[in-house]
Amino acid sequence: MIQVPVLTTARLTLRAPGLADFEPLADFYASARSRHVGGPITREQAWRVLAAETGHWTLRGFGRWAVEESATGALVGLVGPWFPEGWPEPEIGWDLMNGHEGKGYATEAAFAALQGAYDLFGWTTAISLVAPRNAASRRVAHRLGASRDGSFTHVRFGEMEVWRHLSPEDLAAGGIEAYA
Amino acid sequence: MTGSAIPMIETKRLVLRGPEPGDYPDFKATFTSYRARFMGGPLNPYESWMLYAAEIGHWTIRGYGMWMIHDKATDATYGMAGGWKPALWPEAEIAWVIWPEASGRGIALEATHAARRHFYRHLGWQTAVSYIDPKNLDSIRLAERLGAVRDPEAATVDGHDAVYRHPAPAKLEGSQLAHGIEMEIAHYCDPMFKPKGWALD
Repeated sequence: MIQVPVLTTARLTLRAPGLADFEPLADFYASARSRHVGGPITREQAWRVLAAETGHWTLRGFGRWAVEESATGALVGLVGPWFPEGWPEPEIGWDLMNGHEGKGYATEAAFAALQGAYDLFGWTTAISLVAPRNAASRRVAHRLGASRDGSFTHVRFGEMEVWRHLSPEDLAAGGIEAYA
Repeated sequence: MTGSAIPMIETKRLVLRGPEPGDYPDFKATFTSYRARFMGGPLNPYESWMLYAAEIGHWTIRGYGMWMIHDKATDATYGMAGGWKPALWPEAEIAWVIWPEASGRGIALEATHAARRHFYRHLGWQTAVSYIDPKNLDSIRLAERLGAVRDPEAATVDGHDAVYRHPAPAKLEGSQLAHGIEMEIAHYCDPMFKPKGWALD
Protein backbone atom coordinates (compact mmCIF):
# COMPACT_ATOMS: atom_id res chain seq x y z
CA MET A 1 0.00 0.00 0.00
CA ILE A 2 1.04 3.61 -0.03
CA GLN A 3 1.80 6.45 2.33
CA VAL A 4 -0.68 9.17 1.47
CA PRO A 5 1.12 12.54 1.30
CA VAL A 6 -0.29 15.48 3.25
CA LEU A 7 -0.74 18.81 1.46
CA THR A 8 -1.60 22.15 3.02
CA THR A 9 -3.03 25.32 1.54
CA ALA A 10 -3.88 28.66 3.13
CA ARG A 11 -7.02 27.31 4.80
CA LEU A 12 -7.05 23.57 4.15
CA THR A 13 -5.23 20.33 4.96
CA LEU A 14 -5.38 17.48 2.44
CA ARG A 15 -4.84 14.07 4.11
CA ALA A 16 -5.71 10.39 3.78
CA PRO A 17 -9.41 9.54 4.06
CA GLY A 18 -10.45 7.38 7.03
CA LEU A 19 -13.33 6.12 9.11
CA ALA A 20 -13.69 9.50 10.87
CA ASP A 21 -14.86 10.94 7.55
CA PHE A 22 -17.83 8.60 7.27
CA GLU A 23 -20.60 10.72 8.87
CA PRO A 24 -20.12 13.86 6.77
CA LEU A 25 -19.69 11.70 3.68
CA ALA A 26 -22.89 9.75 4.44
CA ASP A 27 -24.72 13.08 4.99
CA PHE A 28 -23.51 14.34 1.64
CA TYR A 29 -24.51 11.14 -0.15
CA ALA A 30 -27.93 11.15 1.54
CA SER A 31 -28.62 14.64 0.26
CA ALA A 32 -29.78 15.88 -3.13
CA ARG A 33 -26.42 17.65 -3.46
CA SER A 34 -24.92 14.28 -4.43
CA ARG A 35 -27.19 13.97 -7.49
CA HIS A 36 -24.37 14.91 -9.87
CA VAL A 37 -22.00 12.23 -8.55
CA GLY A 38 -24.20 9.14 -8.47
CA GLY A 39 -26.27 9.91 -5.36
CA PRO A 40 -28.35 9.94 -3.31
CA ILE A 41 -27.26 6.53 -2.02
CA THR A 42 -27.77 4.62 1.25
CA ARG A 43 -25.39 4.79 4.21
CA GLU A 44 -24.26 1.28 3.38
CA GLN A 45 -23.34 2.30 -0.15
CA ALA A 46 -21.70 5.48 1.14
CA TRP A 47 -19.49 3.36 3.40
CA ARG A 48 -18.36 1.39 0.38
CA VAL A 49 -17.59 4.64 -1.42
CA LEU A 50 -15.38 5.64 1.51
CA ALA A 51 -13.67 2.24 1.43
CA ALA A 52 -13.20 2.58 -2.34
CA GLU A 53 -11.68 6.08 -1.92
CA THR A 54 -9.16 4.49 0.44
CA GLY A 55 -8.48 1.45 -1.76
CA HIS A 56 -8.05 3.67 -4.83
CA TRP A 57 -4.74 4.86 -3.35
CA THR A 58 -3.47 1.27 -3.28
CA LEU A 59 -4.74 0.32 -6.70
CA ARG A 60 -3.49 3.40 -8.57
CA GLY A 61 -0.79 4.83 -6.32
CA PHE A 62 -2.84 8.03 -6.09
CA GLY A 63 -6.33 8.94 -4.95
CA ARG A 64 -8.52 11.62 -3.50
CA TRP A 65 -7.62 13.42 -0.33
CA ALA A 66 -9.94 14.09 2.56
CA VAL A 67 -9.91 17.88 2.79
CA GLU A 68 -10.04 19.37 6.26
CA GLU A 69 -10.65 22.95 7.24
CA SER A 70 -7.37 23.49 9.08
CA ALA A 71 -8.87 25.81 11.69
CA THR A 72 -11.68 23.46 12.76
CA GLY A 73 -10.70 19.99 11.54
CA ALA A 74 -14.08 19.68 9.79
CA LEU A 75 -14.22 17.57 6.65
CA VAL A 76 -15.10 19.96 3.83
CA GLY A 77 -14.63 17.68 0.84
CA LEU A 78 -13.00 14.86 -1.05
CA VAL A 79 -10.73 16.24 -3.73
CA GLY A 80 -8.00 14.92 -5.94
CA PRO A 81 -6.83 12.37 -8.50
CA TRP A 82 -9.47 9.84 -9.47
CA PHE A 83 -9.21 7.09 -12.05
CA PRO A 84 -11.53 4.12 -11.55
CA GLU A 85 -12.07 1.61 -14.31
CA GLY A 86 -14.15 3.05 -17.14
CA TRP A 87 -12.87 6.63 -16.75
CA PRO A 88 -11.57 8.12 -20.02
CA GLU A 89 -8.33 9.27 -18.35
CA PRO A 90 -7.21 10.32 -14.87
CA GLU A 91 -9.20 13.25 -13.52
CA ILE A 92 -9.12 15.70 -10.65
CA GLY A 93 -12.41 15.27 -8.84
CA TRP A 94 -14.02 17.43 -6.18
CA ASP A 95 -16.99 16.79 -3.91
CA LEU A 96 -17.80 19.41 -1.27
CA MET A 97 -19.53 18.15 1.86
CA ASN A 98 -22.79 19.77 2.97
CA GLY A 99 -22.46 23.22 4.50
CA HIS A 100 -19.05 24.00 3.02
CA GLU A 101 -20.14 25.44 -0.31
CA GLY A 102 -19.55 29.02 -1.38
CA LYS A 103 -16.19 29.56 0.34
CA GLY A 104 -13.87 28.71 -2.54
CA TYR A 105 -12.74 25.51 -0.84
CA ALA A 106 -13.22 23.31 -3.93
CA THR A 107 -11.05 25.62 -6.03
CA GLU A 108 -8.40 25.94 -3.33
CA ALA A 109 -8.18 22.18 -2.74
CA ALA A 110 -8.41 21.21 -6.42
CA PHE A 111 -5.61 23.63 -7.30
CA ALA A 112 -3.36 22.01 -4.70
CA ALA A 113 -4.45 18.55 -5.89
CA LEU A 114 -3.68 19.41 -9.52
CA GLN A 115 -0.22 20.61 -8.56
CA GLY A 116 0.17 17.45 -6.49
CA ALA A 117 -0.82 15.25 -9.44
CA TYR A 118 1.82 16.91 -11.61
CA ASP A 119 4.59 17.13 -8.99
CA LEU A 120 4.06 13.98 -6.89
CA PHE A 121 2.53 11.56 -9.38
CA GLY A 122 4.13 12.72 -12.63
CA TRP A 123 0.95 13.43 -14.55
CA THR A 124 1.51 15.34 -17.78
CA THR A 125 -2.14 16.31 -18.30
CA ALA A 126 -5.36 16.21 -16.30
CA ILE A 127 -9.07 16.55 -16.88
CA SER A 128 -12.13 16.96 -14.73
CA LEU A 129 -15.55 15.55 -15.54
CA VAL A 130 -18.52 17.82 -14.90
CA ALA A 131 -22.16 16.75 -15.01
CA PRO A 132 -23.97 19.01 -17.49
CA ARG A 133 -26.39 20.31 -14.82
CA ASN A 134 -23.68 20.94 -12.23
CA ALA A 135 -23.13 24.67 -12.68
CA ALA A 136 -21.19 25.05 -9.43
CA SER A 137 -18.69 22.40 -10.48
CA ARG A 138 -18.32 23.97 -13.94
CA ARG A 139 -17.46 27.29 -12.27
CA VAL A 140 -14.71 25.56 -10.29
CA ALA A 141 -13.25 24.09 -13.49
CA HIS A 142 -13.41 27.50 -15.11
CA ARG A 143 -11.76 29.22 -12.15
CA LEU A 144 -8.93 26.71 -12.26
CA GLY A 145 -8.24 27.75 -15.85
CA ALA A 146 -9.54 24.53 -17.43
CA SER A 147 -11.16 24.61 -20.84
CA ARG A 148 -13.85 22.46 -22.40
CA ASP A 149 -12.52 19.42 -24.25
CA GLY A 150 -15.45 17.38 -25.51
CA SER A 151 -17.78 15.00 -23.72
CA PHE A 152 -17.74 11.52 -22.28
CA THR A 153 -20.61 9.13 -21.62
CA HIS A 154 -20.24 6.90 -18.59
CA VAL A 155 -22.03 3.60 -18.08
CA ARG A 156 -23.61 4.82 -14.83
CA PHE A 157 -23.30 8.61 -14.73
CA GLY A 158 -24.37 9.30 -18.31
CA GLU A 159 -23.02 12.20 -20.33
CA MET A 160 -20.39 14.37 -18.68
CA GLU A 161 -18.42 17.37 -19.87
CA VAL A 162 -14.67 16.93 -20.13
CA TRP A 163 -12.68 19.93 -18.91
CA ARG A 164 -8.93 19.93 -19.51
CA HIS A 165 -6.70 21.61 -16.98
CA LEU A 166 -3.68 23.83 -17.55
CA SER A 167 -0.59 21.82 -18.44
CA PRO A 168 2.22 21.52 -15.88
CA GLU A 169 4.13 24.19 -17.82
CA ASP A 170 1.23 26.62 -17.93
CA LEU A 171 0.53 26.02 -14.28
CA ALA A 172 4.18 26.73 -13.40
CA ALA A 173 4.13 29.84 -15.62
CA GLY A 174 1.53 31.61 -13.56
CA GLY A 175 -1.25 29.23 -12.68
CA ILE A 176 -4.71 30.44 -12.04
CA GLU A 177 -3.62 34.01 -11.32
CA ALA A 178 -2.52 34.44 -14.93
CA TYR A 179 -5.79 33.13 -16.29
CA ALA A 180 -8.29 34.57 -13.86
CA MET B 1 -2.16 0.28 7.21
CA THR B 2 0.30 -0.78 4.56
CA GLY B 3 0.03 -3.79 2.28
CA SER B 4 2.65 -5.66 4.22
CA ALA B 5 0.61 -5.10 7.39
CA ILE B 6 -2.11 -7.40 6.10
CA PRO B 7 -1.23 -10.74 7.67
CA MET B 8 -0.53 -13.69 5.42
CA ILE B 9 -2.07 -17.09 6.18
CA GLU B 10 -0.74 -20.37 4.86
CA THR B 11 -2.75 -23.57 4.71
CA LYS B 12 -2.02 -26.94 3.13
CA ARG B 13 -2.75 -25.86 -0.43
CA LEU B 14 -3.29 -22.12 -0.15
CA VAL B 15 -1.76 -18.77 0.70
CA LEU B 16 -4.10 -15.98 1.78
CA ARG B 17 -2.72 -12.51 1.09
CA GLY B 18 -4.11 -8.99 0.98
CA PRO B 19 -5.78 -8.08 -2.33
CA GLU B 20 -3.26 -6.53 -4.71
CA PRO B 21 -3.68 -4.43 -7.88
CA GLY B 22 -2.47 -7.30 -10.09
CA ASP B 23 -5.25 -9.60 -8.84
CA TYR B 24 -7.99 -7.30 -10.12
CA PRO B 25 -8.65 -8.97 -13.53
CA ASP B 26 -9.55 -12.26 -11.77
CA PHE B 27 -11.90 -10.45 -9.40
CA LYS B 28 -13.51 -8.57 -12.26
CA ALA B 29 -14.11 -11.74 -14.28
CA THR B 30 -16.23 -13.20 -11.48
CA PHE B 31 -18.02 -10.05 -10.32
CA THR B 32 -19.11 -9.05 -13.81
CA SER B 33 -20.48 -12.58 -14.38
CA TYR B 34 -23.61 -14.47 -13.40
CA ARG B 35 -21.53 -16.11 -10.66
CA ALA B 36 -21.93 -12.85 -8.70
CA ARG B 37 -25.74 -13.01 -8.65
CA PHE B 38 -25.85 -13.70 -4.90
CA MET B 39 -23.33 -10.96 -4.13
CA GLY B 40 -25.07 -7.95 -5.63
CA GLY B 41 -23.92 -8.69 -9.18
CA PRO B 42 -23.36 -9.02 -12.02
CA LEU B 43 -21.65 -5.63 -11.79
CA ASN B 44 -20.58 -3.37 -14.61
CA PRO B 45 -16.81 -2.75 -14.92
CA TYR B 46 -17.01 0.53 -12.99
CA GLU B 47 -18.95 -1.02 -10.09
CA SER B 48 -16.62 -3.99 -10.06
CA TRP B 49 -13.54 -1.76 -9.81
CA MET B 50 -15.11 0.33 -7.06
CA LEU B 51 -15.97 -2.83 -5.10
CA TYR B 52 -12.41 -4.09 -5.44
CA ALA B 53 -11.11 -0.75 -4.21
CA ALA B 54 -13.57 -1.06 -1.30
CA GLU B 55 -12.28 -4.56 -0.48
CA ILE B 56 -8.82 -3.03 -0.07
CA GLY B 57 -10.06 0.04 1.79
CA HIS B 58 -11.97 -2.20 4.21
CA TRP B 59 -8.62 -3.44 5.56
CA THR B 60 -7.53 0.13 6.25
CA ILE B 61 -10.81 1.17 7.81
CA ARG B 62 -11.58 -1.92 9.91
CA GLY B 63 -8.16 -3.48 10.40
CA TYR B 64 -9.39 -6.72 8.89
CA GLY B 65 -10.96 -7.69 5.60
CA MET B 66 -11.07 -10.17 2.75
CA TRP B 67 -7.93 -12.03 1.72
CA MET B 68 -7.12 -13.05 -1.83
CA ILE B 69 -6.83 -16.84 -1.99
CA HIS B 70 -3.77 -18.02 -3.92
CA ASP B 71 -2.56 -21.49 -4.87
CA LYS B 72 0.55 -22.12 -2.78
CA ALA B 73 2.42 -23.69 -5.69
CA THR B 74 1.34 -21.61 -8.70
CA ASP B 75 0.19 -18.37 -7.02
CA ALA B 76 -2.97 -18.47 -9.18
CA THR B 77 -5.97 -16.85 -7.48
CA TYR B 78 -9.06 -18.89 -6.58
CA GLY B 79 -11.29 -16.35 -4.87
CA MET B 80 -11.52 -14.36 -1.65
CA ALA B 81 -12.34 -15.18 1.95
CA GLY B 82 -12.24 -13.27 5.22
CA GLY B 83 -14.09 -10.70 7.30
CA TRP B 84 -16.54 -8.14 5.98
CA LYS B 85 -18.40 -5.41 7.84
CA PRO B 86 -19.47 -2.40 5.82
CA ALA B 87 -21.87 0.11 7.37
CA LEU B 88 -25.30 -1.35 8.28
CA TRP B 89 -23.93 -4.88 8.71
CA PRO B 90 -25.33 -5.86 12.14
CA GLU B 91 -22.26 -7.99 12.96
CA ALA B 92 -18.90 -8.89 11.50
CA GLU B 93 -19.37 -11.43 8.75
CA ILE B 94 -17.21 -14.28 7.58
CA ALA B 95 -17.58 -14.18 3.80
CA TRP B 96 -16.22 -16.01 0.78
CA VAL B 97 -16.34 -16.03 -3.00
CA ILE B 98 -14.74 -18.65 -5.24
CA TRP B 99 -14.06 -18.10 -8.94
CA PRO B 100 -16.31 -20.47 -10.91
CA GLU B 101 -13.44 -22.41 -12.49
CA ALA B 102 -11.96 -23.10 -9.02
CA SER B 103 -15.16 -24.45 -7.50
CA GLY B 104 -15.70 -27.99 -6.33
CA ARG B 105 -12.25 -28.49 -4.77
CA GLY B 106 -12.91 -27.58 -1.16
CA ILE B 107 -10.95 -24.35 -1.55
CA ALA B 108 -13.58 -22.15 0.11
CA LEU B 109 -13.74 -24.57 3.05
CA GLU B 110 -9.97 -24.54 3.52
CA ALA B 111 -9.64 -20.76 3.18
CA THR B 112 -12.66 -19.87 5.30
CA HIS B 113 -11.71 -22.30 8.06
CA ALA B 114 -8.26 -20.67 8.24
CA ALA B 115 -9.66 -17.14 8.14
CA ARG B 116 -12.12 -17.88 10.95
CA ARG B 117 -9.37 -19.39 13.08
CA HIS B 118 -7.29 -16.23 12.51
CA PHE B 119 -10.11 -13.97 13.69
CA TYR B 120 -10.76 -16.15 16.73
CA ARG B 121 -7.12 -16.57 17.76
CA HIS B 122 -5.57 -13.25 16.84
CA LEU B 123 -8.38 -10.69 16.84
CA GLY B 124 -10.34 -12.11 19.76
CA TRP B 125 -13.63 -12.54 17.93
CA GLN B 126 -16.09 -14.41 20.16
CA THR B 127 -18.69 -14.93 17.45
CA ALA B 128 -19.22 -14.43 13.74
CA VAL B 129 -22.05 -14.74 11.24
CA SER B 130 -22.47 -15.23 7.53
CA TYR B 131 -25.27 -13.45 5.65
CA ILE B 132 -26.41 -15.73 2.85
CA ASP B 133 -29.02 -15.45 0.13
CA PRO B 134 -31.47 -18.32 0.87
CA LYS B 135 -31.24 -19.34 -2.80
CA ASN B 136 -27.46 -19.71 -2.62
CA LEU B 137 -27.41 -23.39 -1.76
CA ASP B 138 -23.66 -23.86 -2.30
CA SER B 139 -22.96 -21.17 0.28
CA ILE B 140 -25.49 -22.56 2.74
CA ARG B 141 -23.87 -25.96 2.43
CA LEU B 142 -20.46 -24.44 3.06
CA ALA B 143 -21.76 -22.59 6.14
CA GLU B 144 -23.14 -25.88 7.47
CA ARG B 145 -19.91 -27.76 6.78
CA LEU B 146 -18.17 -25.03 8.77
CA GLY B 147 -20.53 -25.80 11.66
CA ALA B 148 -22.58 -22.62 11.33
CA VAL B 149 -26.29 -22.90 12.10
CA ARG B 150 -29.21 -20.73 11.07
CA ASP B 151 -29.84 -18.04 13.70
CA PRO B 152 -33.44 -16.87 13.24
CA GLU B 153 -33.13 -14.37 16.11
CA ALA B 154 -30.19 -12.47 14.64
CA ALA B 155 -30.67 -9.21 12.74
CA THR B 156 -30.32 -9.52 8.97
CA VAL B 157 -28.72 -7.02 6.60
CA ASP B 158 -31.89 -6.21 4.67
CA GLY B 159 -34.42 -8.92 5.41
CA HIS B 160 -33.58 -10.86 2.26
CA ASP B 161 -30.68 -12.81 3.73
CA ALA B 162 -30.44 -15.74 6.13
CA VAL B 163 -28.08 -15.40 9.10
CA TYR B 164 -25.83 -18.36 9.84
CA ARG B 165 -23.96 -18.19 13.15
CA HIS B 166 -20.55 -19.78 13.40
CA PRO B 167 -19.60 -21.87 16.42
CA ALA B 168 -17.90 -19.79 19.11
CA PRO B 169 -14.13 -20.23 19.52
CA ALA B 170 -14.49 -22.32 22.69
CA LYS B 171 -16.96 -24.67 21.02
CA LEU B 172 -14.81 -25.06 17.92
CA GLU B 173 -11.32 -25.44 19.35
CA GLY B 174 -10.31 -29.11 19.47
CA SER B 175 -13.88 -30.25 18.82
CA GLN B 176 -15.09 -33.15 16.75
CA LEU B 177 -16.45 -30.54 14.35
CA ALA B 178 -13.01 -28.95 13.87
CA HIS B 179 -11.46 -32.37 13.31
CA GLY B 180 -14.17 -33.17 10.78
CA ILE B 181 -13.47 -29.97 8.86
CA GLU B 182 -9.76 -30.73 8.82
CA MET B 183 -10.44 -34.29 7.66
CA GLU B 184 -12.62 -33.05 4.82
CA ILE B 185 -9.91 -30.58 3.77
CA ALA B 186 -7.37 -33.42 3.89
CA HIS B 187 -9.57 -35.44 1.53
CA TYR B 188 -9.66 -32.58 -0.94
CA CYS B 189 -5.86 -32.28 -0.72
CA ASP B 190 -5.58 -35.89 -1.86
CA PRO B 191 -5.29 -35.85 -5.66
CA MET B 192 -7.04 -39.25 -5.88
CA PHE B 193 -10.06 -38.05 -3.89
CA LYS B 194 -13.37 -38.04 -5.75
CA PRO B 195 -16.18 -36.45 -3.74
CA LYS B 196 -19.44 -38.35 -3.61
CA GLY B 197 -22.45 -36.50 -4.92
CA TRP B 198 -21.31 -33.30 -6.47
CA ALA B 199 -18.17 -31.53 -5.54
CA LEU B 200 -18.34 -28.71 -3.05
CA ASP B 201 -16.57 -25.34 -2.87
